Amino acid sequence: MTDTVVEIAGLSKRFGSGVLAVDDLSFSVAPGQVCGLLGPNGAGKTTALRILLGLVKPTSGQASLFGTPVRPGAPELGRVGALIESAAFVPHLSGMKNLELWWRAGGAQLADADFDGALEIADLGDAVRRKVKTYSQGMRQRLGLARVLLGRPDVLVLDEPTNGLDPGEMREVRLLVHRLADAGATVLFSSHILAEVEQICSHAVVMDQGHLVAAGSVADLIGAEGSVYVEVDDVAAARTLLEVHDGVLSVVADAPGLTVHVDGVARSQLVAALVHAGIGVETVTARRRLEDAFLGLVEADESARATGAAS
Amino acid sequence: MSVASVTRTELYKQLRRPRTYTAYGLIALIPVIMTIALKANPPDPTDGGRLLLLASQSGLFIPASALRFTSEFMLVIVVAIFGGEAIAGEAQWGNLRYLLMRPISRGRLFAAKLLVAGFYAWVAVAVVVLVGLVVGGIAFGLQPIEIPFGFFASLSTSQVLLRLAFASVFVAWTLMSIVTFSFMVGCMTDSTGGAIFAGIGLWMTWLILDAINSLGSIRYAFPTHYSGDWVFIFTSDDFSPDLWRGALLTLGYVVVFTGFAAWWFHRKDILS
Repeated sequence: MTDTVVEIAGLSKRFGSGVLAVDDLSFSVAPGQVCGLLGPNGAGKTTALRILLGLVKPTSGQASLFGTPVRPGAPELGRVGALIESAAFVPHLSGMKNLELWWRAGGAQLADADFDGALEIADLGDAVRRKVKTYSQGMRQRLGLARVLLGRPDVLVLDEPTNGLDPGEMREVRLLVHRLADAGATVLFSSHILAEVEQICSHAVVMDQGHLVAAGSVADLIGAEGSVYVEVDDVAAARTLLEVHDGVLSVVADAPGLTVHVDGVARSQLVAALVHAGIGVETVTARRRLEDAFLGLVEADESARATGAAS
Repeated sequence: MSVASVTRTELYKQLRRPRTYTAYGLIALIPVIMTIALKANPPDPTDGGRLLLLASQSGLFIPASALRFTSEFMLVIVVAIFGGEAIAGEAQWGNLRYLLMRPISRGRLFAAKLLVAGFYAWVAVAVVVLVGLVVGGIAFGLQPIEIPFGFFASLSTSQVLLRLAFASVFVAWTLMSIVTFSFMVGCMTDSTGGAIFAGIGLWMTWLILDAINSLGSIRYAFPTHYSGDWVFIFTSDDFSPDLWRGALLTLGYVVVFTGFAAWWFHRKDILS
């Protein structure tokens, strides 16, 4: 058995228009990992996923599934369930018929599809017998997720899967991904909602302008550094005190409180110092999230590239 | 995975499309309307086409007359729709990428889509002929007929049906140049409208150019130059060499259009 389920090696894609969508991208996803693919719009995430699924041919480099280089129609694609951008169907057919035809087109037996399990996830009720053209965006997306799960694939490739879903449905998707990961599935999950990735993913790959910025576990990416948000009864006094506190890098007004950038000092120490000075503390929360890490990584990468281009 | 499994699903998808039975319904109306008109107002023997004159005497000639009228325009539109929508329609729905995420090679999907588009185009020709036979038989009967002109003194029912079958195959085959051209454009553009109109536009261009006598032998390179020659098999025992030339010319176009479409589809990035 191969050590990686998904292997992207030196992948580049330049479209005919001259746009370099993916630039020497390399990363891998191990079995059972839930890996988030992050990046601003135009970072090349969807193009990379399309190459992985055999939809787009790379200019150079290679994408592999289960240790085998991907080519259009490769047998390995039968072990992958994918949702790319939005779910799309044949509009004049029912949701159920769409699933059946899609499954049969690959030459698979209906008995192997586990329609009941997939439809339970989609939770469309009798609407699954209605024509897809009558569906809302959310219903289509849920049917798309059901299609992803047909045949219980080993790998799920989900590109913005919560698009068009309401908050309750988004939560359901997150729980679903957790359940699938617990059951041993490998998930490659692209989303622009960083909090979502932080909740779902154990690992993340950060892309910007087509190339890799960082890859690793979410915990590693967030790192030890961070910031703390505090709300106190005397903002001015708290600011004066914290600005000179050991381990505090900077203090920024963040009405109604303060955001304190720290390095190596615990939140409890800051609270103790404030209380000791007679300042009432109403709220203390960690601010360093994946979002901060992501923005920091992308900004650092962009400034490094700008410096490299200038020199 | 075999082409058969993809072809079966494609046949079902296209059969359930409203545009499929709407198109068939519209072309089926032509022989019906023609029969009603001929019954209500028979043509003047000294005026009008020979096929129409024969059609007013025996229902066996209604299909041929209907084929003559539809093959130059309505059938062209219908087959351009079937060809143009095959790949482009799927891309326009955004469903092409999901089909190609299955372990289905592009060659197999291409072959299945083209087979199905061609099949429905041939069925369109068959609809015109069969509806013509039914309504013609009801209105005028299917009796053998005296031919007041041409090579034959008369044609038996089986002789007419044999010629009708040949004419249907010839028309359907000639139209395959449009099916494959629309199919090819659909592979290249992902736009159903563009692919359909390209097919219709090509046929119109051929018709117009073929009407310009000054173009000389260049006109022999257009399938439209031969597309109407089949009508003579109902009045002559001689199957004109032009029929075979037309069929071979169509084969050339079909091979070129299909080959280019296959090459394009194989290297195409699926972005829709």
